[in-house]
Amino acid sequence: MDLLIDSIFSAFLLVVARDPELLNIVGVSLTVSCGATLIASCFGLPCAFFISFKSFAGKAFLITILNTLLALPTVVIGLLVYSFISRRGILGPLDLLYTQKAIIIGQVILIFPVITTLTIAAISRIDKRYRQTALTLGANEFQVVKVIFREARYGIIAAIIAAFGRVIAEVGISMMLGGNAKGFTRTMTTAMALEYDKGEFVLAVALGGVLMSMAFLINMLFHFFQGRGDQHAV
Amino acid sequence: MLYSLRNIQVHRGERCILDIEKLDITAGKVYSLVGPNGAGKTTLLDVLGFLLKPDTGTMACNDISVQYSARAYHKLRQKVVLVDQYPILFTGPVWKNIDFALKVRKISREQRTIRIREVLDRVGMQKFANADAHKLSGGETKRIALARALAIEPEILLCDEPTANVDTENQERILEILSYCNKRQKTSLIFATHYLSQAQRLADFSIVLQNGSVSTGGNENIFAVRRGDNTSETGKWLLGEGLSLVVPNSINRAETRSCRVQIDPHSITISRSCNSTESMAAVWKGKVVSIVSENTKVRITVDCGIRVDIFLARDVYAKEQYMLEENVCLEISKEKCVILPNDSFTTT
Repeated sequence: MDLLIDSIFSAFLLVVARDPELLNIVGVSLTVSCGATLIASCFGLPCAFFISFKSFAGKAFLITILNTLLALPTVVIGLLVYSFISRRGILGPLDLLYTQKAIIIGQVILIFPVITTLTIAAISRIDKRYRQTALTLGANEFQVVKVIFREARYGIIAAIIAAFGRVIAEVGISMMLGGNAKGFTRTMTTAMALEYDKGEFVLAVALGGVLMSMAFLINMLFHFFQGRGDQHAV
Repeated sequence: MLYSLRNIQVHRGERCILDIEKLDITAGKVYSLVGPNGAGKTTLLDVLGFLLKPDTGTMACNDISVQYSARAYHKLRQKVVLVDQYPILFTGPVWKNIDFALKVRKISREQRTIRIREVLDRVGMQKFANADAHKLSGGETKRIALARALAIEPEILLCDEPTANVDTENQERILEILSYCNKRQKTSLIFATHYLSQAQRLADFSIVLQNGSVSTGGNENIFAVRRGDNTSETGKWLLGEGLSLVVPNSINRAETRSCRVQIDPHSITISRSCNSTESMAAVWKGKVVSIVSENTKVRITVDCGIRVDIFLARDVYAKEQYMLEENVCLEISKEKCVILPNDSFTTT
């Protein structure tokens, strides 16, 4: 018990003192997580709108596949991406392995289904008459998408926040594709795993505190936007 | 011709929900779509509003054949607006809702501001310009939806049940707005309604829909009849309290328990004394409860236990001078009882 109390106290001092190593690790984590969330949103949102608006053969099957991918383990993604970007892989010459880019690629694969499926769910909750009304008022397909995006915005923001929460807390992809290189690819989760292995709890507890604070903030935001979305869904 | 529809069919699954053999609609006029629930009024409005592509048939708008492509439909939707039975307003203030349709038409900001002010004034909602659109009442929402449609000055305005679920005051305002829109803006107006009085008051022409098809028999005197104990012997089917009707033999099959019958209101003979004959489908006694003048004819409603409408030519009415509360006798000939299409039959 003393060990835990001492660790928490030391960790608190580390956070208050803005320890450079701690800040660097938090910075790397935020860079890769924000990058991955941004890229996955750029691909996931148009895909979600396309799937929601268009009728095509295999649509239900595609949604089932996307839902299945929500449960994809991070180590499986790590292995898959590794096989492509390792020296013997087809993308080997690009020297992506053990870089932040490699982590971002893996994390994009991880959260693309999260953003897509949650956005599809958010769009499906929007009354069909919004689309009908926009069309009868003379809107083209792009303008209709803008209307639906506006009406579903709280649900869509909630989807993006949920995706960010998933990547900031994952460890498998960052460890396998980033390599945990100090100052470059060491994220909060990989640093905590390393410190645990070394038996150094102070930095691990400090990072854990920062991570939990972030998770709390993200969840607060998620529930705020989710609640707003429920109020506006007709 | 504003619209020409030929052999238009819309299916939902296996069921044909709209089957229009021929329908012509003239520009600048007011048309009412009347018919019972499920008759196909909303589906027809969706087709006319270019929101629903028919499965078969051809359509022409302003004598130009309609191509069933997304691009052609988008172009056609620039001149027609459909106001839904339960219109939906976009999130945000009222003015932004009206602004939307103007903005997609690339109208300048100054023009948009003027137009918004004008239409809000027209529907009596100028004070609500900055109100949250989702916090309006049902009647107010309908008026804003109408204002949104009027702002773009459409060539054709389609309204699905414009006065349904609104109070009398709002009903009057809505009807006044629709009338203004047709008379001043020269907008062709097609509206679906359950209220025959509204249809008669506003419309130049009525389109009666029955089971997805245009009915030539009007919307009056449609009754559900059921098999009685002695129907097989007497051929008499029951309508209500003590009323019976001899229907054509074609449905006198033993397994048919009930069906709907329509009696042509022009063919019913009204008189002050009953001359019952065997050749009649029915002879009913009743009391005159309503007399309404309608264009070239007079509609007399007689309460016989059920309300029966009769149309009389003006000169016939002028000669007979039936009065309210007067006891009369109605004679209905067998040939003028029409059995409504097959899906209205109920069998055991």
